[in-house]
Formats: sequence, structure tokens, C-alpha cells
Amino acid sequence: MDFVVSQILTGLSLSSILLLVALGLAIIYGVTGVINLAHGEFVMLGAYCAWLLQSQFGWSLLASLAVIFLLIAALGWLIEVAVIRHLYDRPLDTILATWGLGVMTQQIVRLTAGGELRYVQMPPSLSGSVNILGATDSAYRLFVLAVALGLFLLTWCIYRYTSFGLKLRAITQNRAIASSFGINSARAYRLTFAYGAGIAGLAGALISPLKSVSPEMGTTYVVDAFMVVVLGGVQSLVGTLASSAVLGETSGLLAYYSNDTIAKALVLIAIVIIIRFRPQGLFAPRVRA
Amino acid sequence: MSGKISRQILLYGVVCLAILAVPLLVDNAFLLNKYARYLIFGMLAIALSLSWGYAGILNLGQAMTFGLGSYCMAMFLKLKTVPIHTGSDGLPDFMVWNNVTELPWIWVPFQSMPFALLAGMLVPALFAALLGWFMFGGRVAGVYAAIITLATMVVVNLIIIDQQSYTGGFNGITDLAQFDILGLTFDAYSASTYYLVAVCLTVTLFVALAVSRSKTGLILQAVRDQEERVRFFGYDVALYKTFIFALSAAIAGLAGMLYTIVMEFASPTFLGVPLSLSIVIWVAVGGRQSLLGAMLGAMLVTGVQGALSETEAFLETWTLVMGGLFVLIVLLMPKGLAGAVEALLRRIPRGERKGNVRPAARQGSKSQPHLGGAL
Repeated sequence: MDFVVSQILTGLSLSSILLLVALGLAIIYGVTGVINLAHGEFVMLGAYCAWLLQSQFGWSLLASLAVIFLLIAALGWLIEVAVIRHLYDRPLDTILATWGLGVMTQQIVRLTAGGELRYVQMPPSLSGSVNILGATDSAYRLFVLAVALGLFLLTWCIYRYTSFGLKLRAITQNRAIASSFGINSARAYRLTFAYGAGIAGLAGALISPLKSVSPEMGTTYVVDAFMVVVLGGVQSLVGTLASSAVLGETSGLLAYYSNDTIAKALVLIAIVIIIRFRPQGLFAPRVRA
Repeated sequence: MSGKISRQILLYGVVCLAILAVPLLVDNAFLLNKYARYLIFGMLAIALSLSWGYAGILNLGQAMTFGLGSYCMAMFLKLKTVPIHTGSDGLPDFMVWNNVTELPWIWVPFQSMPFALLAGMLVPALFAALLGWFMFGGRVAGVYAAIITLATMVVVNLIIIDQQSYTGGFNGITDLAQFDILGLTFDAYSASTYYLVAVCLTVTLFVALAVSRSKTGLILQAVRDQEERVRFFGYDVALYKTFIFALSAAIAGLAGMLYTIVMEFASPTFLGVPLSLSIVIWVAVGGRQSLLGAMLGAMLVTGVQGALSETEAFLETWTLVMGGLFVLIVLLMPKGLAGAVEALLRRIPRGERKGNVRPAARQGSKSQPHLGGAL
């Protein structure tokens, strides 16, 4: 019983990280159709902000979260204005442009902060461990899980119950018609991009105490997050939630029997096979071309 | 039209002859080795141009097929060193360090040269065909396909690093024998290896040109521009796309084999994200819809990089500059340098006879940028 619970908890921890990183990617892709390959770099920047604020200004991680969200969101906003908005009718080129931006970001961080690994301290109040049904888990991991679920709920409520969310859904269905009804779709895209970037930054900050922080850390996250989006199906936030849970638990379990790499390979093979027969994802009604 | 084709073949031929003539002017083994590397990057660019520029399949994992080819060649050349760089039982040195007791089954067939040479192209091609069948059969296209190629490469890279006892892990496969065939030995630092690479490049370029001009090539370009319409005409779109994807992989595999000969080792970085990104940048700079443009783009970018980046610090800045340049090219010049040159060439004659060209004729010349220009 202990083993089962602790295995589930390990999987949930992986799932929460996946959900945090994938949420921003899913929102941006779902609304604007842009695959943001710089998403991993937003995550990385969030982690570096957390490190910088902690080591240079002595801020606690929890105190800096809001600032980090705003900073990375502002960066996302700028990037949308400068680059992305010119490319909405060339989806393949958005991949390239965001990839280029990602490389630049990585390189700027490497040149300014150095290429060595950085470490962020856990908030002292959350560094203990908690006993659940006989298995122990770090309080911080549970905190990350709670934040991930909270952010998901917040996003879902915005999408479902606010007038901005209604406009977003209208734009997603048909941008031209939504615009002709007076919805400012350019502004909606910009805000979506900024929000997605901000969440990525938050994800990076929250992950930073669990992993080491390095300029290259974003690459693996963006690939993992994209797997979540593919499996869950685009335009389905609930799908993103479900597939993070499935992927996190599966990876945790496979990694227990072999190792992380093999687990990753098996998950990828499964996803490639799944999209052959269900390209719209497991939880979505239709796919965006 | 036929005049245009022969002009194109002439242009391609002149460029290839110029490349083949380089060793007559350069008598420096070190430089020739460096140039041979640039030529191999040119082959990689041709491979990507075929799938991306002509069929619209943006392969962000092109380096994966390159690396697979490279490892095939490295395995063969490593086994040729038996028993010099090997342990007591004729096993490659890194296997001995990893307590492997007998040659793994994957390695056994690589004792034969014909098998290794075939595998260097067929393994990547079959791998790509399988992946392509899954993707294109499921009508996964555009950004989805691009990311899946990227993810696949990342995972293959991780596996190669992880399976240290079979692949040499992080260090790759080093201390290789020299490649020889039909009594000719190819020293990495010699004109003979340069010629080997240059001939392979020439053959590749003309095969790619022939494919792009064939009916298959035209159908693929139609798929790129209007996939749905081609499907309604009754063509098996997935089959065509899988074919070009596999062909591109085979070319990249060949380039990988040559790269192992030139570099004298194989490493997991050969199928890393940075190299893959570089390939995309070369092709974007040179012009994705021009085989020659893509090839020259690769040589230009790597040549400039090689000339400028003598110091490590500069290399770091160079990556930054490259990233910025890439974003600008994507934004402002989607057809790359080849597109710019073509637009320039088209403007000159039209300027001369501006007065008597009919609007209809002008439109005709305007509507064939994909098929028309000599590049």
C-alpha cells in the first residue's frame, strides 16, 4: 500500500510539472495556433528570475512569484508585438521564429549569467515532508501540485465564465467572423500570448527548487509539454489536464521499472502510435490544422 | 521551359565543377578537411530543402538521420580497428570498460562493409519512412509534424547517451580506422577524402534536382501548396510525403557517414538539437525552395562561422547573432538569399523592355517563381 501511494505521488509530482509547463503552451496554441518553441526559454527565464531575486536581493521564492509572472508576461507581450503578430498566417514560420528567439534567449542568459548550474532554495515553510496514507512526500511537491491545479482552474474559469473568455472562444472558432462582430482579436492574441508566457515563467520559478537551473533546461520541457498538448488535444484545456495526469503517472511508473530515458522513449512511441489513429488527441473533438 | 532547365543544369554543373576544382588551388590538408565538412553540411541542407522546401515537411529533427548514418559508419570503422583499439576479446575499447562480454547483436553485421554502407543510408531512410507513415498516414502535418520530428530526435539522442555500453554514450565512438574501399584509403586530412565528399555532393545534388523536376517532385510541390486538392485528385498524399521524407533521410544518412570519415569520430552531438537548428537556419538563409541556394547557404553560414569563430567567446556571440539573423530572415525574406537573387535577376531584363511587355506575359513570368528560376 505504501508503495502504491508513493508511486502515485511521484507520478502526480511529474504530472503537476507537466501541467504547469504545458498549460501556457496549450493556451497559446489553442487560441492563436502558434507553436511557441521559445516556451521552454520562458520557463528557463522564470527559473533564472527566481534565482536572481533570491541570490541577489534575498527574496523568498513565494514572494517573488507574482513579480516573475508579470516580468515574463511583459516579455511575452513584447515578443508578440515585435515578431509573432507578423506571422499568424504562416504557422510553420512561427515555429522557426520562436526557435530563433529561444536560441537568442538561451545565449543571452549564458553570456550574462554564465553556463554553470544554479540552485534555488526551497521556501523554508515548505521544506518539510507530509505523511499521506503511510507514504511521505515533500510538502513543496504537494504545494506545486496545488498551484498547478489552482492555475488550471483559474484559466478554465477565465476561458469559460468571463466575457474575455467568451471572446477568445469566438476567435478560436473563426477569427474573421469574430473580428467582424467587433472583437479586437489582435489584442486578444497579444494578451493570450502574454498570459501563456507568464504562466511559463511561473512554472520555471516553481520548478527551480526541484531541478538545477541551466540555460539549456527549456529544451526538454518544451518537448514534454508538447507531448502533453498532442495527447490531450488542442483547444481542450481539460484534455491538457487529463493528459498531464496520464503522462506523469505513466512516466513515473515506467521510470520505476527501467529508467527515465527508456520511459521517455516508450511514452514517445505510444504518442506517435496514438496520433496515427487519433490525430485529434485523446480528449478533443477536432484538430486545428 | 526546356531552355530554363538546361540553364539550371548548366549552373548546377558549374558550381559542382568549381567545388571539385578546389584541391587544385588549395594544398593544405587542414583546410581541405575543413572544406570537406562544409560540403557535408551542404548535403544536409539539400536533404532538408527536399522535404521542407519542396514538400512542405519542416523536419526539425534532420540531424537525427544524419547521426544515425554517422553511427553506422563509426561502428564499421571501429570494428575495423580490431585488435588495435580493442580489448582482449576483440571488443571495442569502450565496451570492455563497460563490462560487455560479447559483441552486441546490433554490432555484428557491421563487420561487413557492404552492409555498413547500405545501413548508413537505409537505417535512417527506414526509420524516417516508419515515422512518416505514422505521421502522414494520420494526416498529421504542419506544426504537429515538425514538433514530432523534433521530439523523436531528442529521444533518440537520449537513448544513445543512455545506452553507454552499446553506443559509447556521451563520448560517442572514437579512435576509428581509416575508411578504405577498392584499394583506396581515405585519410581524413587529404585531397582524396575531399574528392570523395565532393563527388557524393555532386551526385546528391543532381539526384535531388532530378527528383524535384520529376512528376513526383511536381506532385509534392502541389501537396505543399494545396494538400487537400491533391488528395481530391486521387493521389496518395501520405505515400508521396513518406517517400520524400525517407529520401531526405537517406541523403542525410550519407552525409553522416561522410562526416564520420572526415571527423574520425561519431558523437551524440551529431544528432543534437543545436545541429538540427543550424540545418534549418542554413536552408532558411540560402532559400528553402532552391536546392543550390540551400546548399550554398549552408556553406556560406558555416564558412563565415568557421572564419570568425577562432575564440570560444566569439562563438557564443556568433550563436546570438545567428539567432537574430534567423528571426529576421523568417520575418522579411521567407525565400532566403536564392529568392532575393531570383527577384533581382527577374527585375533586370524586365526593366530593359518595360515598354513592350504585355501585362499577360508579365503575369506569366511572375506566376512561376517555384518552378521557373534557374536557381
